[in-house]
Amino acid sequence: MKDFLRVFFSRPIPLVGLVIFAVIVALALLAPLLFGRGPFIIVGMPLLPPGAPGLLAGSDVLGRDMAVGLAYGARISLLVGITSTLCAVGIGVLLGAVAGYYGGWLDDLLMRVTEFFQIIPSFVLLMVLVAFLQPSLSSTVIGIALVTWPQVARVVRGEFLSLRGREFVQAARTLGMRDARIIFTQVLPNALPPIIVVGSMMVGSAILTESALSFLGLGDPNLLSWGSMIGGSRSAMWVAWWTTVLPGLAIMITVLALNFIGDGLNDALNPRRRR
Amino acid sequence: MEPLIAIKDLIVSLPPGADRAHAVDGVSLSILPNEILCIVGESGSGKSLTAHAIMRLLPRGVSASSGEILFEGTDVLRLSPSAMRKLRGAGVAMIFQDPMAALNPVVTIGKQITEQIRAHRAISEKAALEQAAGLLAEMGLKDPKALLKSFPHQLSGGQRQRVMIAMALSLSPKLLIADEPTTALDVTTQAQILKLIKRIQTERQMSVLFITHDFGVVADMADRVAVMRHGRVVEEGGASDVLGDPKHSYTRALIAAVPRGESMLQPVAQDAPLLSVKDLAKNFRRGGFFSGASAVKAVDRVSLTLSRGETLGIVGESGSGKSTLARCVIRLLDPDAGEMLFDGADIAHMGERQLRPLRRRIQMVFQDPFSSLNPRQTVGEIVIAGPRAYGEDMKEARSRAADILRLVGLNPETMHRFPHEFSGGQRQRIGLARALMLKPDILIADEPVSALDVTVQAQVLKLLDDVRQQMNLAMLFITHDMRVAAQVCHRVMVMRHGQVVESGPTREVFAAPSSEYTRSLLAAIPGRGKLASV
Repeated sequence: MKDFLRVFFSRPIPLVGLVIFAVIVALALLAPLLFGRGPFIIVGMPLLPPGAPGLLAGSDVLGRDMAVGLAYGARISLLVGITSTLCAVGIGVLLGAVAGYYGGWLDDLLMRVTEFFQIIPSFVLLMVLVAFLQPSLSSTVIGIALVTWPQVARVVRGEFLSLRGREFVQAARTLGMRDARIIFTQVLPNALPPIIVVGSMMVGSAILTESALSFLGLGDPNLLSWGSMIGGSRSAMWVAWWTTVLPGLAIMITVLALNFIGDGLNDALNPRRRR
Repeated sequence: MEPLIAIKDLIVSLPPGADRAHAVDGVSLSILPNEILCIVGESGSGKSLTAHAIMRLLPRGVSASSGEILFEGTDVLRLSPSAMRKLRGAGVAMIFQDPMAALNPVVTIGKQITEQIRAHRAISEKAALEQAAGLLAEMGLKDPKALLKSFPHQLSGGQRQRVMIAMALSLSPKLLIADEPTTALDVTTQAQILKLIKRIQTERQMSVLFITHDFGVVADMADRVAVMRHGRVVEEGGASDVLGDPKHSYTRALIAAVPRGESMLQPVAQDAPLLSVKDLAKNFRRGGFFSGASAVKAVDRVSLTLSRGETLGIVGESGSGKSTLARCVIRLLDPDAGEMLFDGADIAHMGERQLRPLRRRIQMVFQDPFSSLNPRQTVGEIVIAGPRAYGEDMKEARSRAADILRLVGLNPETMHRFPHEFSGGQRQRIGLARALMLKPDILIADEPVSALDVTVQAQVLKLLDDVRQQMNLAMLFITHDMRVAAQVCHRVMVMRHGQVVESGPTREVFAAPSSEYTRSLLAAIPGRGKLASV
């Protein structure tokens, strides 16, 4: 653990990512305390520029406070990003582990299923899924999880394929351990580093995907997210830049911070970089 | 005579935070022209780093901080990088322990040899290829023209090491450094490679610096010997002096640790066998789609019996099917045919569900001390994993683990540590403790000492034998090394190409081998009859 922290913080990039991410999380958590009235309340004239009295980030096309919108949007973006990634990692680990550990026809079958999801343009599939399930927070999460799990499954399968031949796994079999026990207590802990790295990167891409869905009007209509802020303001793009640029920057900075963290994890969890 | 190379007060320092400051601590050695000097020592003695310092190939963070290495009068440590490049290959060449890791897997053998020749000499590709073919022929390799076109993975371990030697000799160096060149090889292949190095040394009249941990090899190779320990030379002298009359107690201990290939053990009285294997067969299918599938008979109708309290050795080279046989017995592999009666039940074709309660009674110690322990679990977790899988109480398992760790010679306080904090020999002890926790009836040891230094080997072999006696185990001992088999086995079974060539009480097989193949295995034992009894 000490090694892990030392390598993780040995370069400035992961530290910067972590600090930015912490600020965004704090903002999201504190939004109801800071701005109790919610993001949909109209506070003044529409399209007031940032710095107008009482409006740190200006107002949008309907005269709502952009700063409040950004803070509440962070809640949705992070919620979708993290829960959909957790779901995708769950599905991917389970299927990848089974395919990699058992091999044979089961592996063939599961990998063909995985490829089926990989060869369909994922965003089109996602739009169809969300539209079919009715746009809502949960349908967005389910949809994103369904189109992103294959990458996790691939990584996990590869790790399991190489680890299952190692002697300590054979030793576990000769000790009479059941397969599920071997998979979860012996092999999985050794396969965790790449899963964690892929997962941290996936949170970022899930946030991007959610924004794209909301931009297209396929997000939950009762919730304000960064993507729907951009979508709702695109008619005012030429007269009030801040209505689209600020949520766009928020997305960019969050995804960048997550990638920085993923980068740091990649180094810190790589045994060759330690010591 | 002027020495070809003279090392004077060499100190190689380790990076701060290592277990000691100097890996090599004031070593002075010299090698005369046309002489083989063997440096002997255990891992961590500094013998490899001394050799690497000559080539200036020390790992990052490790440096030769003082002293000099004079090669024909010039100090290697002060050469410019370009002068050093000229020296490497042309003046001094090196071969390594693992030829697979030292060869580029995606480049043909021919290309790899000619590349080196042409980096130093301005000759055409064609001329270089001809020279390479000549070298391969000199190494005793058949059909060198075809070999030049093949890739490293298509060659056997012995062929690869010959190719490495050919590459090393391509520029006719004056000194060849051989860093444990036969440690990864079978005993018979080792004997051939040793003979080859010796022959070439005589023919080309060059000097050889030979690094090894095995005094048996020293007896076959050395003109002079230097024994190293903790970075210092503890004894140096002519081969016959050091081998015949070792002065230093450490040298004596090293020589005593070499197994002599003479069996001391009497066969155990055979009562009803615990395990009896009859006509066991296992095939592996190769290729398929385009080439047409072919089956390799890895184990071909092998029968054996094993009784309580006895050790049966299964000896053979790699590819003989001995490991496959062991993995069938412990049912990591499913045999294709035959039966295995264990305590009255045929376990050869039993389903996993029925087999599970029997699994704990047959346990295994694996070959590789590094991959056989889960790197993410502590020693305690590793050792109690077996009993826990059978639902044993955590507290009880822990207290038993402490006893078993003590039995295998480890401090139970180390239970919270991770495997990478232990040496190879200690890791094998942990693996043995893991197997013993289930109170097995049969212990299968698959080359348990082949990755260890000779002295550590002797300790682990003794431990295995003690444990067998104490727990009245039946042991199946897999090895490629006749010397090791002689030390712990009551009976031996020699395997080749999946079949049993010869079997019988160890003493009889060693005294009067009935097959040509067994005789060749015995003849390959390094240093046989040349070591003093100390």
